[in-house]
Amino acid sequence: MSVPPGSVIVPDWLKSPEGKEHLAAILRKNKRKVFGLIERPVLPPQVASDTASYKVFVSGKSGVGKTALVAKLAGLEVPSTHHETIGIQTTVVYWPAKLRESGRAVIFRLQFWDCGEAALRKFDHILPACREKADAILFLFSFTDRSSFDDLPAQISRVVGDAGSLVRIVVGTKFDQFMHADVTERDVAEFQRTWHLPVFRAQSAAGSRQAGRRTPDAGTGLREVAPLLNGLAEHLWHQDQVAAGLIPAPLPSPEETGPC
Amino acid sequence: MEPGSGPVSLLCLAATSGVPLFCRGAPTRHQLPFSVIGSLNGVHMFGSNLDVALTAAHTEGTRVLWRAFHESITLIVMSSEEGANDFTLSRLLDNVFSAMVLVLGLEELANIRNVERLKKDLRACYKLIDSFLTPAERTGDLTQCVECVLVPCSTTLQECLTAFTGAAESRFGCLLVGGRVAVATEPWWQLAPQEVNLLAWLVGSLLPSTTRDYPVYLPQGSPMVPHRLLTFQLLPGLDICLLCGPSPSLEAVETELVPRFWKPLLEPLRACARPPSVPLHPGVLAFLLINHEQKRSLSAVLPRGVQAEGPTLPLGSCASVLRAFYALVVSHYFSCEGSPGELPPLEVPLGGGSHSARHCYVVSAGYKAYAAQAPPHQLFLLLAPEVPTFALRPLATHILQYLVGDAAF
Ligand SMILES: Nc1nc2c(ncn2[C@@H]2O[C@H](COP(=O)(O)OP(=O)(O)OP(=O)(O)O)[C@@H](O)[C@H]2O)c(=O)[nH]1
Ligand SMILES: [Mg+2]
Repeated sequence: MSVPPGSVIVPDWLKSPEGKEHLAAILRKNKRKVFGLIERPVLPPQVASDTASYKVFVSGKSGVGKTALVAKLAGLEVPSTHHETIGIQTTVVYWPAKLRESGRAVIFRLQFWDCGEAALRKFDHILPACREKADAILFLFSFTDRSSFDDLPAQISRVVGDAGSLVRIVVGTKFDQFMHADVTERDVAEFQRTWHLPVFRAQSAAGSRQAGRRTPDAGTGLREVAPLLNGLAEHLWHQDQVAAGLIPAPLPSPEETGPC
Repeated sequence: MEPGSGPVSLLCLAATSGVPLFCRGAPTRHQLPFSVIGSLNGVHMFGSNLDVALTAAHTEGTRVLWRAFHESITLIVMSSEEGANDFTLSRLLDNVFSAMVLVLGLEELANIRNVERLKKDLRACYKLIDSFLTPAERTGDLTQCVECVLVPCSTTLQECLTAFTGAAESRFGCLLVGGRVAVATEPWWQLAPQEVNLLAWLVGSLLPSTTRDYPVYLPQGSPMVPHRLLTFQLLPGLDICLLCGPSPSLEAVETELVPRFWKPLLEPLRACARPPSVPLHPGVLAFLLINHEQKRSLSAVLPRGVQAEGPTLPLGSCASVLRAFYALVVSHYFSCEGSPGELPPLEVPLGGGSHSARHCYVVSAGYKAYAAQAPPHQLFLLLAPEVPTFALRPLATHILQYLVGDAAF
């Protein structure tokens, strides 16, 4: 099931004065601020917002770009060479957003769980640990690796297991490598028709920001990550509303009735 | 400095087949030609076939050291670094192999079944190994003593850590501040100093993360059976480490235990995160204090105030000059109990004679350096050149008294 972009969260709200005030809480010197486990963003008392915490498992084959994507979303330096992730590493990203329905501002606390594909095979405890109480799973494929795209259905059924309601989002990585693209827009459109899953495109190339044009947010890189973070937040919020019975459950989606 | 651009090259080969497993340090453009690798390994193999262990060779500008581990892995290091001697290079080889065990386990290294597979798996050690080739302000790789840091409120933190570790069904817990041990549970201190350091360096070599669940093998304590290293970033630069068995889950410790135990200590923890200033004489550029009984060390490179006059060493070279001075002193002058451990005395004292010095110093145009030993402590100081030579000894004695007495190290 797909939640249309902008239906839950006000797009471009971060550019408004109220949005900027929230943004200031997650930035320091025009860079993303790192928060430890016992801290959180501090807002002026009059704008105090609720925090909504979610666990997001990032899955995909080795080298597809899981670690790079998480670094990109967190505003950290993206490693330029592939160093296989050996165990589990998680990264917390705070992301403020304005809810369309209630007009409230909420700070989403998204904790991304990244584990190396090799570690997942070698140690039995890793996959269950990543799935435990996950609210969403990102399924990554690379635009430059056809097999990672073709394997998506199998990957989804392998990883989801018997987990209950979960936000499922597909992310195509290395979208900047269009010269080497191995997966076309038509392939993606067809996949979306069959599986009814939202598909996002990401480019997490190391140092891509220097190459890009100078924009007001060139330092923060927020513009590039906003679509995915907003989209993820919308799906998570929507799922909570459904679970709480506040909005009707969607019709069974094809992947639950379809061939799988 | 870019990792891999230093004057040190490290080669790893499968001992029996001579297949190169990896090469670190040399810039990729200047990879050693296969023939050179072959000769370096060949001469070592030739020796061992005749029951001769070739350990080291010196040319005019370069030193080469060989070491075979478990008759399965050969490590060769070449260095044209100025301060390098056999002592530092030997320690390097030892640390590199231990790092390989830490990440892969001894089984895979001692009984190579599939060379290609091993080559691929070894990539997971690269970052940790590279960190030995550009050690920056690190000293524990040479001293084999645990790198510690003094923090305020250590008693409160210690109590909390012990309770937290117990609640997580473990006995091994430690708080790292800036990559050094601030407090640790008693069993953590019982680990080999090298293991404690390796765990801290491993954490430092990984990408910054909020939490981690990392399989590790302890090179001495548990080289065959992996444990789980859990880390929790309480504040930037402040990580809690736990060594656990199969349970509890990372999720459970993070959500149930971390807030309960550590949230109430936010203020003391914040105080730790600010780098503590060590009030020493302004002429001190860097120091290293070792407690050989406890196998712990304390070190810092001190930023110089504005009043500094004359040419000064940049901070980066302060650290490497101090390392070189340490290596010089322990391999030539301080034949101390419990320092180089299993290493045979590598060099004859430069002054001849077999006595062990208690103080020694070096005076050069750019700096002065002074070492003093008062068992179980050893102090190494790097000082500005304008500090008068006659003042070195009283200064060292005073600092030693201060650090050992008042700071109770
Ligand atoms: N150009 C480009 N390169 C990318 C992108 N994402 C990842 N990469 C590169 O792809 C390589 C692998 O990326 P990682 O993120 O380390 O892969 P991973 O999925 O975490 O792999 P494992 O930890 O082994 O499972 C790295 O060299 C990245 O720099 C992208 O969007 N664009
Ligand atoms: Mg990875």
